[in-house]
Amino acid sequence: MKLSPHVLEEIKELPAKYPQPRSAVMPALDLAQEEVGYLTPEAMTEVAEALQLDPGYVEGVATFYTLFHLEPIGKHRFYVCTNLTCMIRGAYELVDHVKKQIGVERPDKVSADGLFSFEEVECLGACEYAPMMRLDHRYHYDLTAEKIDALIAERRSSAAEPATRPHPAAAPPTSPASGEVKKPRAPRRKKKASG
Amino acid sequence: MAELRGSFGEQPHHILTSDFGTPDLHKLSVYESKGGYTALRKALLDMAPADITNDVKTSGLRGRGGAGFATGTKWSFINRDAPGPKYVVVNADESEPGTAKDRYIMENCPHMVVEGILIAAYAVGANQAWVYIRGEYDEPHRMLTEAIAEARTKGYIGPKPFGKDYPLDIRLYRGHGAYICGEETALLESLEGKRAQPRSRPPFPAVKGAWGRPTLLNNVETLATVPAIINMGGAEYAKLGTAKNPGTRLLTVSGNVRKPGVYEVEIGKTFRHVIMELAGGPPEGRKVKVFWPGGSSAPVLPESMLDMTTDAEALAAAKSMGGSGGVIVMDDSHCVVKAAHRLLQFYAHESCGKCTPCRIGQDWAVRTYERILANEGSQLELDILQRVSDGLQNGRCLCGLGDSGGWVIDSTLRHFREEYEDHALRHTCNVGKVAVDATSPLVGRTDA
Amino acid sequence: MPDVNLTIDDHKITVPAGTLVVEAAKTIGIEIPVFCYHHKLDPVGACRLCLVEMSPGPPRPQTACTTPVSEGMVVRTQSAMAVQGRADILEFELANHPLDCPVCDKGGECPLQDFTFRHGYPISRIDGPRLHFKKPIPLSDKIALDRERCVLCYRCTRYYDEIAWEQELTTDERGVQSFIASQFDQPLKSIFSGNIIDLCPVGALTSRVWRFESRPWDMTHTESVCSRCSVGCSVTLWQRRGQLVRVTSHENDDIDEGWICDRGRFDYTDVNDASRLRTPSINGGRSTWADAINAVAAGIKGKGAKLGISLPQDITNEEAFLFRKLLDGPLKGAKVKMHGRTAIPAPAGDAGRAQGALPNNLKINEIDDARVIVVVASDLEDDVPIVDLRVKKAVSKRGAKLVVVYPDGVDLDRHPGTLHIRNAPGAAAAEVRKLASHEWLRNPGGLVAILFGDGHGSEDIKDLTAACGELAKKVGGKEMALYRATNERGALAAGVAGWDKLDGVESLLSWGPPPAAGIPKSARFVAAWDHLPREGYDRAVVLPATTFAERQGSYTNLEGTVQFLRPPIPVPPPLKEGWELLCELGAALGVALDYDGILPIQRAIGVQPPAPEPAPDPVLVGPARP
Repeated sequence: MKLSPHVLEEIKELPAKYPQPRSAVMPALDLAQEEVGYLTPEAMTEVAEALQLDPGYVEGVATFYTLFHLEPIGKHRFYVCTNLTCMIRGAYELVDHVKKQIGVERPDKVSADGLFSFEEVECLGACEYAPMMRLDHRYHYDLTAEKIDALIAERRSSAAEPATRPHPAAAPPTSPASGEVKKPRAPRRKKKASG
Repeated sequence: MAELRGSFGEQPHHILTSDFGTPDLHKLSVYESKGGYTALRKALLDMAPADITNDVKTSGLRGRGGAGFATGTKWSFINRDAPGPKYVVVNADESEPGTAKDRYIMENCPHMVVEGILIAAYAVGANQAWVYIRGEYDEPHRMLTEAIAEARTKGYIGPKPFGKDYPLDIRLYRGHGAYICGEETALLESLEGKRAQPRSRPPFPAVKGAWGRPTLLNNVETLATVPAIINMGGAEYAKLGTAKNPGTRLLTVSGNVRKPGVYEVEIGKTFRHVIMELAGGPPEGRKVKVFWPGGSSAPVLPESMLDMTTDAEALAAAKSMGGSGGVIVMDDSHCVVKAAHRLLQFYAHESCGKCTPCRIGQDWAVRTYERILANEGSQLELDILQRVSDGLQNGRCLCGLGDSGGWVIDSTLRHFREEYEDHALRHTCNVGKVAVDATSPLVGRTDA
Repeated sequence: MPDVNLTIDDHKITVPAGTLVVEAAKTIGIEIPVFCYHHKLDPVGACRLCLVEMSPGPPRPQTACTTPVSEGMVVRTQSAMAVQGRADILEFELANHPLDCPVCDKGGECPLQDFTFRHGYPISRIDGPRLHFKKPIPLSDKIALDRERCVLCYRCTRYYDEIAWEQELTTDERGVQSFIASQFDQPLKSIFSGNIIDLCPVGALTSRVWRFESRPWDMTHTESVCSRCSVGCSVTLWQRRGQLVRVTSHENDDIDEGWICDRGRFDYTDVNDASRLRTPSINGGRSTWADAINAVAAGIKGKGAKLGISLPQDITNEEAFLFRKLLDGPLKGAKVKMHGRTAIPAPAGDAGRAQGALPNNLKINEIDDARVIVVVASDLEDDVPIVDLRVKKAVSKRGAKLVVVYPDGVDLDRHPGTLHIRNAPGAAAAEVRKLASHEWLRNPGGLVAILFGDGHGSEDIKDLTAACGELAKKVGGKEMALYRATNERGALAAGVAGWDKLDGVESLLSWGPPPAAGIPKSARFVAAWDHLPREGYDRAVVLPATTFAERQGSYTNLEGTVQFLRPPIPVPPPLKEGWELLCELGAALGVALDYDGILPIQRAIGVQPPAPEPAPDPVLVGPARP
């Protein structure tokens, strides 16, 4: 799949925003990954050409960072933290649950319906809400098997609905995955006495 | 956003968090109604840059990212009068296990960070600041983007903040998943669009940093503390905490505790106060077994040292460190060997691969832990762990990630030797619930 | 800056300021082992093998390769801290390293082997599976990669980035899973790729052309000159059993700085070709030398302009000198065409002398100090590859500004500061004349280096030469004419670098391979001095030729330096040296060319006699290139 002209244009405008043009490679790969779903060799080559860099250079950068995926990852990827705090609060059991519910055994595989994949990740910086995970550009806290089931069901049902999603190219790259309605913020609890 | 877990509301020691919990504190108008941006105005209009740096020096503020270097001194390393651009780069790559404080600040009060950045930029002669924020922090990124836009509309970011002829700008740069980007020079490499591998130092960033220019690198919390210091004065700030480690800091307390949270604590309180009082201690029927005082990279301390104070000097004397302030508490239902194994998996996964000892050593340790936990261990495996640990420390590695792996092995071996020997020599585990999981999903044998 | 005094292992020494500790130690023969450090690359301190104890300093070992000397410094390479540090690092390097020595081409000249013997632990504590990769991976048809042997010193990727300005070689993944790869597993295309073989301190990058050919101690070698283009890089030629087994670089800081291109490194296998011509032949039938020479003389004598002579690009100065004598005598009037030469005329003042001494002749090593470099009508990477690298070094490491005048994109465009003027073909001279008023050249602040080619015939070379000369005068510049043929400058000096068309000749004397356009159809008599059989030789008089690996002689490179071939292989009988044959041919043609050795010829040309043969390196001790 080739990058759309809209995305390519955005990529070409990136180098001017940085003191040196090479810095544009990370945000450019981000845009490409958002559009294609993951970074194919073709996408990386297109990014390289648009930025006047060597494809090999771009490939080397892409393979270094965990958030750049060079294989298909499906629409929704469960990034479940299993580092120390989350581990001692049951993260591995939750990973097993995710695997079972989405029917995927390994992080480099995607569910049969193309919707789900998972990955164990390192500390996501929300240890006071452990065990937790990142899904569709949002953090999900105090995970339980039930919460996971609900999140999966939600996505399965919205995938079954007819497409009224905005075109991926129209969504800004940092917004949640298209199709998801932004939830209102949860109301704050009363102030605690201590702390 | 989820409920606040941690410090908020007015308390004498809530220097950073006193206004947290105020609805819409992330909005510029609310922040200003609480006194926000008075420090920036004071710094720009009433103070000379050298005075600002001196005030920060007087405050005794030390870097809150992990290294704990004296902030004012770091600022003074930038030659303000050297020609050409200089940069402030904000380390918002918070990835140290057990640490959530920067996220806490950025989500609750992003303007405090913005204000601190602008003051620092003015003090060191920089006109542009770059915030390097880890890619997983979607919400903080959104909050900072909006805060910067608001400040830009208000003119605090722009050609003439408060009418002062000193252009100020803040830009954001997202990371894409690499703990090593928390290391200063690796962060700079990533900012330049390269694989994030640390540089040899010297030259230091103050001389040759981002894009070859003199650069000030500071942690989010460090910069977020600056407005308070300017408002109350450095000497006043230095009255809190201990003589050598003044002030307050945000400690993230997590793990087997009843009330995990990000707590602002006056430096010098004991860990007993932090873990047992603020965080409520371990669950019913459990005891604290071990705790990491400053992120997973800080050498562990056993329960017998709960009365250790939280200041840098005391921790150094106990052969540990304050680090990122990520206090991870593990109770007696968990196995230390398994915990150490998981942490070494982390370091092996995050190792950038540039220097030999870290690249090879972390992975060698992981494989040795696997053998031990699969009941294939012996004295040789324990010797290998010690040997790897020695090989990772004391300047062998190019950066601190290597040492951190070594410290995990070293400190857990030192304080919990019997548990290691149970596994390695007696092929048993005497801890309550333990699933001996010898597979390493993150670091496996590859066929490239 | 004043020199610095320091102490290394109780030896007090004085070295120039800025010297790295590892280099300072070398001056007194102390070996601090290194993998990632290379004296031509920027130091990175990645492998940590060079850890030594330094005071004043922190209570930890420091890397000697990134630390410059300081006054009064005390360095200890044999303290417990340093010795154990090195041994530990070596043990780490060996933890995943496969036990491949018996089948690894690097064995015998391998720094990892040597350092482990000299600095490592004698017993291995490594038990258990090692990291595995698919191997060997063909990086190109010339280079193989073994990822298991790789110690990730990054010399190869850094070389590509810093020196060659390319990134087709990259590091993928992170941590212990890191590995070297060519981009998207495509074959390496760069003409500079072969140098990574010399750079690699282990057997991870090996030559496929030389694979499993020999052990280092079974070869002898000489330092000679490459004969593939006009740059004249120093090369090391290795022979075993009378075969040229491999070509590696040899550092000559005045010209190549230790880099050679892939043409010079890999294009030698014809020397060992089984079908090499061994005896003279007449019309396909074996003949004696006397008969063959007489047949040649009879076929080319007195033909005037009906004789065509084809000369190779790598004709030696000595052969050229003898040809001049023949062309002034019995072969007067013959048409002469030299392979591969440019349209650039001989440098003024050169005629009759093999050595150039022009007032503004630019030497390759002077490019280092240029403040502005102007490249006109040439794609350096293609025409003179190693000069291309020298220009890149001046730009990226020494801050020179670069102007390129050329119709198409060139690899020098990769630098963002390059000013590339895309002229219409034929308009280069006009653009050059405009340059004098460019802001960079109005006040260059130092030497301006002007390198000009002939655009492969697309430019009016007389006009361009004049324009470059004018520019040089105006801005304080020196010029380098980018001749392409190996000994174009020497042949020009001898006056034999002909440009004539050979159509319509009745006799053809082909010295070296046949003309690029083929043997002219009109030729009724063909004589060739060649090393391989070609189409049509069964109807010719063929004299078996030596190759660059066997013949003696000298070349004059494009900057005017005369360099001498040092063949590793003696001329295999019954072959004769080219100069010897020309003398005998001269006698058969009736002109006395009484030179009984190559030295008398060289004296006659006025060339300095060659330097005495350097003492051969002992191959058994020490790595070839640590």
